[in-house]
Amino acid sequence: MSTANLNKYQLIIMADDKQVVLERILQVTRYRGFLINGMNAEVNTGNNVATITMTVSSDRPISLLIDQINKLIDIKGVKVDNSAVKTKQQSA
Amino acid sequence: MTESKVLTGGGLLFEVLQEHGVQHVFGYPGGAIMPIYDALYHSDVQHFLCRHEQGAAFSAVGYARAAGKVGVCLATSGPGATNLITGLADALADSIPVVAITGQVPTAAMGSDAFQEIDIFGLSLACTKHSFQVTDINELEKVLYQAFEIALEGRHGPVLVDIPKDVQLAEVTERLDKLSHLKNKVKLPLADISKALDLLTHAKQPMLYVGGGVGMANAIEEVRDFADKTGMPSVSTLKGLGAINPDNENYLGMLGMHGTKAANIAVQQSDLLVVVGARFDDRVTGKLEEFAPNAKVIHFDIDTAEINKRREADAAILGDLKGNLPLLTMALEISPWQEKLQQMKNDFGWRYDHPGENIFAPAVLKMVSDLMPNNTCVTTDVGQHQMWAAQHMSFDDPSNFLTSAGMGTMGFGLPAAIGAQISRPHDTVIAVSGDGSIMMNVQELATIKRYQVPVKIVLIDNAKLGMVRQWQDLFFDGRLSETDLADNPDFVMLSQAFDIKSKMISKKSEVQAAIEEMLDHDGPYLLRVKIDAKENVWPLVPPNTANDKMMESV
Repeated sequence: MSTANLNKYQLIIMADDKQVVLERILQVTRYRGFLINGMNAEVNTGNNVATITMTVSSDRPISLLIDQINKLIDIKGVKVDNSAVKTKQQSA
Repeated sequence: MTESKVLTGGGLLFEVLQEHGVQHVFGYPGGAIMPIYDALYHSDVQHFLCRHEQGAAFSAVGYARAAGKVGVCLATSGPGATNLITGLADALADSIPVVAITGQVPTAAMGSDAFQEIDIFGLSLACTKHSFQVTDINELEKVLYQAFEIALEGRHGPVLVDIPKDVQLAEVTERLDKLSHLKNKVKLPLADISKALDLLTHAKQPMLYVGGGVGMANAIEEVRDFADKTGMPSVSTLKGLGAINPDNENYLGMLGMHGTKAANIAVQQSDLLVVVGARFDDRVTGKLEEFAPNAKVIHFDIDTAEINKRREADAAILGDLKGNLPLLTMALEISPWQEKLQQMKNDFGWRYDHPGENIFAPAVLKMVSDLMPNNTCVTTDVGQHQMWAAQHMSFDDPSNFLTSAGMGTMGFGLPAAIGAQISRPHDTVIAVSGDGSIMMNVQELATIKRYQVPVKIVLIDNAKLGMVRQWQDLFFDGRLSETDLADNPDFVMLSQAFDIKSKMISKKSEVQAAIEEMLDHDGPYLLRVKIDAKENVWPLVPPNTANDKMMESV
């Protein structure tokens, strides 16, 4: 599948370091129609908070994915890293 | 001196269930859940042995929906757990609070492809609101409390707790004094109340679009008060039926694919939609781009993710409907619009003067609805009979009409009726089913027999998978692929094999007496109603079509 015409976003997700939290994020991301272009996940063992940075692309609005990830029980917050956003308009 | 009994993980489960007011559970035992069933043996919680784990899950769903409580089901590892999945998916789609407990192979064997091992924790991700796997006995109590809290917090949903066998057997050394609660995740941004008020006061043709969230928010009184005081004409989704008083003169019935003509035309012509606890489901909107094309939208919901998901809201009001809706309750001057729709409702009313001697299913269901006692709970399966029930029966509360709306699961009706009857032993419970659907969980007739559950079953029998057959006739040039069920068993004989009284009718003249006999019977009863296989559900909005372009006959 070509991703050339899709909008690209970078998300920063803060989550409690609980069982399968990463799988939950991946499942929701795929199901809601977003491709994962890259990701990084780290856990702060001091406070057991995981920080997941994920680059995704889709023709759907990113608010749809943010709302769905936010619904996951172990998620503390989701935001778009605007500095890393690359849209098809910008790349065209 | 008497030795105090050791509390195991299995015993703790039933203590926590009782602490949450759970009196009844539905399940099926097996190897990896035997310590829990051993603890059940000494528990005051009453267990109902279903004959398939899917039946147990649907009974838990029916129990939860009929009683407004959390439904609980149990299953063993592997196939027991996978058999729960359809019921959990159904509960997720319809936002039903269910807690499912699954046994798992011992922790030491996990990940070794052990006998009856499946990664139900992984499988649960797409079909539950949340799930847990407990590998430490010291975590079990906290997890069980969280499971109930999550099932009921915000938008309700199913939660699965997977418990390995060694954790079920482990000794509980300490009970928790104080349990930490989940953080409140429901964010409440400034609701667009002033914007909504502005839209409301300027609307000339507003419509109230009522969904299943109304019943779940316990906001029926507030929604009826809003409908009465504003005088706003209203329509309902399948799951919202019962929220609006069916006798309200401005209520137009169900909208969507098999909605009433008046409801669909009114919504298409409206200039404002006040959406309460509904989500613009595709079966409701038809072609989304042409749904209510001139309407502004005020959207009330508990779930942030439903706002702007399929239709942008001009004013979004997030949070508890019960508290928020009264903020917009006011008198409106919309009498020309009301009069126009009342006339339309009258002009397009249902007709039951079907020619010939054959039984007309809509008339049967209308008569059942007219004759059934107050506060009867009706469940359905999925297909033509489901839509006829939604169209032609009247309900005064959403907890009196249980149907698989979001998932559309055949096999739902019979076990859901069992759960509903157990939760409400003094109310009449009627399962409206079809000859295709009933075979999906027909084994639950044994559960009815075992516990003498006095469920009444109205089996609409056209010896077809009727809804698929209808679509094959209408949209696939009449190629009837795998929808003929002429070789069904004799349902009367089948019922009698389970000690369930049964009767078959095939003529109009037999209908009323048969319904009265069924309703007067003390125990379970199956009424087989033979209908013409060519009957269709009308009206019908074809797929990807605007709701005002409905078909009314062929």
